[in-house]
Amino acid sequence: MVGDAWLRHTTPDKYTRQTLELSHDTLLQIADDLLKSPPSGIDTASLDSVLTRSRDRVAQMARLVEAKDAPSFSSQLDSLRADEKIVKQFSDSIESRQ
Amino acid sequence: MSKALQIALGIITSIGGFLEIGSVVTAAQAGAAFGYQLLWAILLGVLCLIFLVEMSGRLAAVSKHTIVDAMRERFGFPFFSIVLLVMVLVAFLVLVAELGGIGLSLQILTGIGFPWWAIPVSFIVWALMWRGTFSLIENGASLLGLFTISFAVAAVKLHPDWGSTAHGLLPTFPGDQKAKYGFIAVSILGASISPYLMYFYSSGAIEDEWDESYIPINRVIASFGMSFGGFLSMAVLVAAALALRPKGIDVDKYEQAALLMTTALPRWGFYLFGVAMLFACLGAALEISLAIAYFFAQGLGWNWSENLTPSRDARFSLVYTIIIFLAAIPLVLGVDPIKVTLMGMALTAATLPLAIVPFLFLMNDPIYLGEHRNGWISNSVVTIVILISFVLAVISIPLQIMGS
Repeated sequence: MVGDAWLRHTTPDKYTRQTLELSHDTLLQIADDLLKSPPSGIDTASLDSVLTRSRDRVAQMARLVEAKDAPSFSSQLDSLRADEKIVKQFSDSIESRQ
Repeated sequence: MSKALQIALGIITSIGGFLEIGSVVTAAQAGAAFGYQLLWAILLGVLCLIFLVEMSGRLAAVSKHTIVDAMRERFGFPFFSIVLLVMVLVAFLVLVAELGGIGLSLQILTGIGFPWWAIPVSFIVWALMWRGTFSLIENGASLLGLFTISFAVAAVKLHPDWGSTAHGLLPTFPGDQKAKYGFIAVSILGASISPYLMYFYSSGAIEDEWDESYIPINRVIASFGMSFGGFLSMAVLVAAALALRPKGIDVDKYEQAALLMTTALPRWGFYLFGVAMLFACLGAALEISLAIAYFFAQGLGWNWSENLTPSRDARFSLVYTIIIFLAAIPLVLGVDPIKVTLMGMALTAATLPLAIVPFLFLMNDPIYLGEHRNGWISNSVVTIVILISFVLAVISIPLQIMGS
């Protein structure tokens, strides 16, 4: 959401960058927690891979805000959305097993 | 000042002073996580608050006692000291949250982290208390708090489904996340029914020298001021339900709440949020600091008045000086104000019986209120809501802590 807002010029650069950095740290924390005690029946390697990729994208987006590179930012945002869908599939599959 | 003007000013300051970090964060969390489903909690809290604020003003106008004065006189010092300890501890947590709210607002507006703002913000709050008068704190800060009306504009601009909104005013239970639902409901009730507001209001009535002729004015201010304030709280919930929930955003961090208005008010929404929260938290921080100082001074029989110079009520001034700077310490150390806010609001709800039950005894005592003592409607409404808050708090706080 903050990415969309930045592309629409409705949030300042500093706030956007800080929020993305915060998201990066949160993703790191979530990945650590998940991989310490992974849910049963989940392909841990794939989950780890998609979370690491998302984290890297968010870090890259924070740097793109700094560089004010909106086109590259937009393409990273699209890729992040695709990763989000994969994470959602993991989440749905865990929920359906419970 | 004419009575009509007093009423208008009273209502405006009640609206401007209603929202603070607790009510905004809890309402935003509720909307983001459960849509309109928790609107009933705001309605219940505001209903109870209307009665409690009206009672606080009536007690002061009729008996010329603040709540604290009367509580100590009626129940004796040993019982009063327990209430003092618990209420001051909870109010202190809320003060930390409000100072943190000012710091976080400045953080999102400037990019400088909130711990850096803790000392300057505390100093400004202290300086306003030291140099200001009661009317400056009551009216000045609350008038600036009128920026919070922008939440209502944002909610309306997002075109809520009014049928579903009305449905949210009736309590329903969620399919899952019951502990979270209960915890947020408790936090909303705690944010709405803040005992510090009653202490502040009754002390203000004494500062403004109210007498029995103010009873109708008090009733109008309490009813309309708190109702309109409650609408603003509901507007935050509705805006969060429409702007954040569809994107799956939970409000765990203040930065997420800041996005509340960027969908509805694209150009200025972000800055309006920052400024509105800055003033709302500033007003609340001033009121809580004053309420804590009133609590000590009135309970221990010291000189007290925000209209006196500090040299004439030195111990009163010393209390708020110490409290404000103590509250800055956790923030300097980087303690997350949002976590403090949620815990503070939930604990407020859990300790409500201790604050409210003795107050109800006072409000039914003919020695203090004579013919103006409570009727059965006021007693029933307040008792039922306090009971609900307490039961919800006892069940959901441990569950939420275990769940976390």
